[in-house]
Amino acid sequence: MNPPKNNRLALVIGSGAVKCAAALGVWKVLNRAGIKVDLLVGCSGGSLFATTMALGYSVDECIELTQRLWNRSITRKRDTRSFLKALLPQVFKFDERFGMIDDHAMFKNLRAVFGERTFTDTVVPLYLLATDFYTGEPVVLDRGTLVYALRASISVPFIWRPWRIGERFLIDGAVSNPLPVDVAIREGVELILAVGFETPAPRRIKSISRFVFHLNSVMTNNLYRANFAFHNLAHHAEIITVLPDFTQQVSLFDTQHIPYVIQQGEHAMEQQLPYLQRLLGENHSS
Amino acid sequence: MAMNLIEAGAGRKKVALVIGSGGAKCAAALGLWQVLQEEGIQVSMAVGSSGGSIYAAAISLGFDLNTAEQLTLSLWTRDLMEGYATNLRRAMTGEVRFTESSGLIDDGPLTERLKTAFGTTSFSDAHIPLYIVSTDFYTGESVVHNNGPVLDAIRASIAIPMIIPPWQVGDRLLVDGAVSDPLPVDVAIKEGAQVILAMGFELPVRKRMRSYTAVTTHLNSLYMNNILKSTFAFHNLAHHAEVVLLLPELDPAIGAFSAEQFPEVIAEGARSAREQLPYLRRLLSQTSLD
Amino acid sequence: MEITTNYQDQVAVVAVEGSIDALTSGDVSAHLAGQISQGYHHMILDLSQVEYMSSAGLRAIMEGLKTSRQAGGDLRLAEPQPGVDKVLRMAGFPSIMKSYSSLAEAAASFKD
Repeated sequence: MNPPKNNRLALVIGSGAVKCAAALGVWKVLNRAGIKVDLLVGCSGGSLFATTMALGYSVDECIELTQRLWNRSITRKRDTRSFLKALLPQVFKFDERFGMIDDHAMFKNLRAVFGERTFTDTVVPLYLLATDFYTGEPVVLDRGTLVYALRASISVPFIWRPWRIGERFLIDGAVSNPLPVDVAIREGVELILAVGFETPAPRRIKSISRFVFHLNSVMTNNLYRANFAFHNLAHHAEIITVLPDFTQQVSLFDTQHIPYVIQQGEHAMEQQLPYLQRLLGENHSS
Repeated sequence: MAMNLIEAGAGRKKVALVIGSGGAKCAAALGLWQVLQEEGIQVSMAVGSSGGSIYAAAISLGFDLNTAEQLTLSLWTRDLMEGYATNLRRAMTGEVRFTESSGLIDDGPLTERLKTAFGTTSFSDAHIPLYIVSTDFYTGESVVHNNGPVLDAIRASIAIPMIIPPWQVGDRLLVDGAVSDPLPVDVAIKEGAQVILAMGFELPVRKRMRSYTAVTTHLNSLYMNNILKSTFAFHNLAHHAEVVLLLPELDPAIGAFSAEQFPEVIAEGARSAREQLPYLRRLLSQTSLD
Repeated sequence: MEITTNYQDQVAVVAVEGSIDALTSGDVSAHLAGQISQGYHHMILDLSQVEYMSSAGLRAIMEGLKTSRQAGGDLRLAEPQPGVDKVLRMAGFPSIMKSYSSLAEAAASFKD
């Protein structure tokens, strides 16, 4: 039997930096339609939005918080010590757990929004995805202080230092699982809304660091697709993919495009809404 | 109805050999090949990605073991990495512009060695159908080669990103097959194989990294291993018959090696194949595969 | 959702109109299985009139694909619409099964 037997709905928000704000557009549409989300999963940039939603903020509040969380101040200050160690490993003892950017500004923004709240403060179960820096395994975070879990999940390699939680050093969830539909599958949710983004590849490469960035983007995309292909076959019920279209180039920190991004998310969700309602309606009628 | 009986029933099972990325370790596939020949198991197609493309080609072109050994020894030598440190320094300081066609080693010797081994051989010279996988540098999509010069396909497929310069074939700039499809079981599935023998290798990951490039290499390995696992998980679920996975146990540090190590590598490849032989024999003798 | 089948030589051309999703995929699965049990192991799924394909829909196609191959045949796709093609690509289908931009090409592919 294919239609989902229970009414539980999961919202999975994949990695995609500022494009993840499209999830707020999805949230808007769901709220308007009176559809409740029972489980939230976030990866990388998607974690920020999954967390604000999980804490029960309204759509407008989430939008306002996004502007506070995501601005250029978080990448302004260089992590000088780390940077020097990377550049001159013979002089300064090289530390493989380095990052170019100082994370104080990021923590300041995160704390301003989330304070010291923990996963137990969420009104909807929340799961955030990170990656073990040494083994490459996906690591699901579902307890403890939210700002630390977020710091780990969005820890883009080279940009921020890996973040320690327990015995592990964690980095960006996108290195292992850019769109963690499997977490929702594992938690027994039948109906899954997956909001995913592909990284556009840069056009011209003029330096080795740009080459590395391009390569990482390409591999994140390939991993995104490979994982989805697998999860798709592994699930027994339904995954509805919400894939917002961006005709405008939206780069890593283009926060001025947030209203456009949200609108594209709304538009993509509106296209899937009739089918979602039919699926949910099928259960109400039985 | 008659047509179906012939197809599904009596005929020989279509066996495919898939050799994944693994650098010099892929030579273990020659051990597998030896065992298959000893058993009289006929292979209907060979598929290779990255380092595996060399052996898929050697096998499908009918190279004998000696030739394959010579090829391996001449290809994977330490002097390939000459110039790496200098080029890296120049790239990082910006003294030399690093572009999409760049690599940290001079690929002259490498390409010459491949020319010596494969010359102007084309896919149509293969005794059994050959498929080689590389990756489109810009889109990241996998590209399946099965016509034209074998040399071009191999050179593209082994182009380890950052190290070996990407290779232009026609209007596409191509890199390492491992970036999109490290163990191309999907190609075998699509081409109608039934029993798929897949030999794969995981990239070694480090516990300590002493330089920026070591970290970059480590991260590339994390990505590639994850792509390997996920694509395999998908291919495994998508296949209607059997995928027999062979994972030779080789020291991950084997890179450029000398003559002494080569027999060991082949022996381990053969051992991993012999381990699966009882099951393989049963699979091939069955008339139906569900 | 409507399914119509016609036959070209020994190939069953199954045309679906509408949406292949969790609510309709069961019918598609059953139909494909039915063709196979009648002896039509080579099938073409004509997607020209399919405007939506969900995860459940993809699995129904996968099921048909595997069953047809187990019977010694194959299932190939013809004329997927752009939106459906996008979903097929994301789910990795082009790498493991053949898809053609025209029904004629799909039919011709079975002649090799």
